[in-house]
Amino acid sequence: MRIEDHLAKAHSIERSLARCTAADYETVIEAAMLAGTHWFNILLHQTNLMPSDRDAMHAEFLAPADRHNVRATVPDALRALEEIERLRTPYVRGDMPGGEQAAAHALECLCRLRDSALANR
Amino acid sequence: MKIASHLEKFERLDAVRRRLDPAADRELWIWTAMNACTHLLNAALHHCGATEEIDSFHSQIEGRYAVPDRVTGALSDSRHRPGDVMHVGQPAIDRPIPPAVERACTALKIIEDLREPYVRGNQPVTDGAPAQWQLAYSHCIAELSAALGAPAKGVK
Repeated sequence: MRIEDHLAKAHSIERSLARCTAADYETVIEAAMLAGTHWFNILLHQTNLMPSDRDAMHAEFLAPADRHNVRATVPDALRALEEIERLRTPYVRGDMPGGEQAAAHALECLCRLRDSALANR
Repeated sequence: MKIASHLEKFERLDAVRRRLDPAADRELWIWTAMNACTHLLNAALHHCGATEEIDSFHSQIEGRYAVPDRVTGALSDSRHRPGDVMHVGQPAIDRPIPPAVERACTALKIIEDLREPYVRGNQPVTDGAPAQWQLAYSHCIAELSAALGAPAKGVK
């Protein structure tokens, strides 16, 4: 998808995210993952790591060659998205205690992804 | 995961969904509706014995679970029979499923299929589409509530 379309999607999800509270931690984590993935794709397209007709769906599922290149070029963004994705099993699909703290961490990671993409424009 | 935890998560997710507008907040509405339905589906599948009520969480990889140590908080990988499903048919269930739950799965699949065009992609939303999404959600919740023998809040 084109960079400007990812940008519109990321902003739209972040506007919806503003309707959530800390207690809505499952949705906050998922929104951070969804918006964060759009910011991640913006970075991939900006750096020519991936053409705009090919998007990454989850950091976890990057092909080995793509992962190698992404880690070498935008390591902080890759780490931020992976950190958000790792929160989904225990706190969205699972009921581990500490969901609100996990959601706060997801928001921090989302900020890192957004800042990385905007700094690269 | 345990039925009580699925129900608690469903209630919380459904409460968020009610605050979202299916058109203006389409991405998060679709995703939250899907997650809410999936938790209620897992509760219904455990309730009818089609899947096991196990203290484990489905991972992002089909059929792979995280098992919590409730004392230390550590998670360990496990592959075991379902267990929770991640999405409709993932993993497959080899036990009989009641007709109401089958109908709920058909409705949930409609919501799952909205992810590519409207969440990851930027397909424009046509007039009347959000009403169809809400109908699929209500249908799914009503069928699952019937299977569980108790009304869930998301029916209305």
